[in-house]
Amino acid sequence: MRPFMHNMRGTSTLPVLLAVVAVAALFLLPNFVESTYALHIMILIFISIIMGSGWNILGGYTGQYSVGHAAYFGVGGYTTIILMQYRHIAPWYGVWAGILVAVAIALIIGTICFRLRGPYFVLASIAVAEIFRVTALNLKKLTNGAEGILITDIPPFKIGDVVITDFMSKVPFYYIGLVTLIIAIFATWMLQNSKLGYYFQAIREDQDAAHSLGINLTIYKNVALACSVVFTSLAGSLYGLYVGFIDPSTVLALDLSVQIVMTCIIGGIGTIFGPVIGAVVLVPFSEALRSNMIAQAIIDSGLVSENSGFGFFLKEQLSHAHVLIYGILLVVVILYMPDGILGFVRKLTSKRRKEAI
Amino acid sequence: MAILEIKHVSKFFGGLAANSDVSFEMVSGMIMGLIGPNGAGKTTLFNCITGYYPPSRGEIIFDGHRMNGLHPDAVCKLGMARTWQKVRPLAKMSVVDNVMVGALCRTNSLKKAREMAMEKIHVVGLGNRVKFLAGSLPIGERKKLEVARVLATQPKLLLLDEVMGGLNPAESEEIIQLILDIKNIGITQMVIEHDMKAIMRISDRIVVLNSGEKLAEGNPQEIVSNKAVVDAYLGGE
Repeated sequence: MRPFMHNMRGTSTLPVLLAVVAVAALFLLPNFVESTYALHIMILIFISIIMGSGWNILGGYTGQYSVGHAAYFGVGGYTTIILMQYRHIAPWYGVWAGILVAVAIALIIGTICFRLRGPYFVLASIAVAEIFRVTALNLKKLTNGAEGILITDIPPFKIGDVVITDFMSKVPFYYIGLVTLIIAIFATWMLQNSKLGYYFQAIREDQDAAHSLGINLTIYKNVALACSVVFTSLAGSLYGLYVGFIDPSTVLALDLSVQIVMTCIIGGIGTIFGPVIGAVVLVPFSEALRSNMIAQAIIDSGLVSENSGFGFFLKEQLSHAHVLIYGILLVVVILYMPDGILGFVRKLTSKRRKEAI
Repeated sequence: MAILEIKHVSKFFGGLAANSDVSFEMVSGMIMGLIGPNGAGKTTLFNCITGYYPPSRGEIIFDGHRMNGLHPDAVCKLGMARTWQKVRPLAKMSVVDNVMVGALCRTNSLKKAREMAMEKIHVVGLGNRVKFLAGSLPIGERKKLEVARVLATQPKLLLLDEVMGGLNPAESEEIIQLILDIKNIGITQMVIEHDMKAIMRISDRIVVLNSGEKLAEGNPQEIVSNKAVVDAYLGGE
């Protein structure tokens, strides 16, 4: 195959090459970067990619827009942390339990909700996530309600008697996140090049046509949901362990469900690297908003005086308005880049290629 | 031997009888034409046969299996495939990927599915469109794509719902040839069509539906000389 040309499945060799270089660089990064803040942002990006990739399997490839994936994120996180905190089961076992519980719940919900199509499915998925949030708030014995669970300490990870890591720094989380995200991306790639991937995309394009071509919609939608939930749940466990605290209003909130979907839409739905690009854009952006970095930068640049009414507004209110700004960003992306950043770039390059010919 | 038996099939939507007491049989290898004025219940009958609606009454026997209550995917696996009056391309997938989805009904290997798909694509004459997105094809080629896709599911019985609708005469002629080619491979076909000339040419037998009921059945010569059929089409008295 000629380099830089699109192959049969629409993935090109150049991004793959870039990805290999990027992964190598990412593995070496903690050796050079001292700043824990930088590592913190990286870990958040990794988690965002993992959950985005998970959602992408169901939403991007199978076309079932779930806006309730926080439910599985939360179930994964809660299971792992409850097992660790109250039953003293180490998280590297608890994570699997989290996946099992999340997938089992997902299959029950999927069997019921996949009867619905289009906007009705979206509404049902939101409702399900809200049910989980309210349940977690009220099941105080299990979840400690709105107070949440504070992790006292994570047992060190040992193989035999050798301590691999004690989870005291951010570095182990960095590597766990990195490896998990590589697995998530690899799984998406495998899926795209399998019978399942073809069936998922056929369902996305036209359910009735897919049905008439021998595809059992209920089964394959549930399979897509299960694959999706594995990574969403993993991301939830990782997030809970990393932050050291879990409560319903962060891990089971509608905010989070929307953020998962946004990551994919902005990056490019139904593409392997869409969630990666979405996360790389969105996480630093929202972090900058929250820490008032953007407001400060606008004021420092001299565009707006700090003492003017607008400057005051920026400084005091912008960080609270991140949801509003998300909304505006989403509208802009949908209007001007309906296939996300990745789709936009692809269109530009293919246009240039056509002009070159 | 009868490959498909329709026995007293009725389908009601509320109080409306879209099909009432329709019965006929199809012999293996034949082409059955299904005609009737708009709203006669042709597509409803297709939907009942292929599992999209359960018939309200009656029985459908295909290749020895009772089809009532089977879902479309199971129907397809048993060897009955249909195309749609309004074409349903998997728009953001390429032509070969579209046909592969059909082929994957019979195999789990992508490689085999691709081989099968390429064969069917050449049968319908889309060889120069393999990597085009299905959504970018003009209507004539979309209709051919539909046929290639259902052929890839390796059906014994093919139900074609107005594959010539909206096509120009040259394209219709290609589809007629394609239907006759498919007959030569040995696949039984039921064809809904409004183009009378075409349907008279290709059909071995014709069933005429009118207001949900079977009005007449016979070979093309019998149908054109049947007074009830002529009345139904021309409005009678």
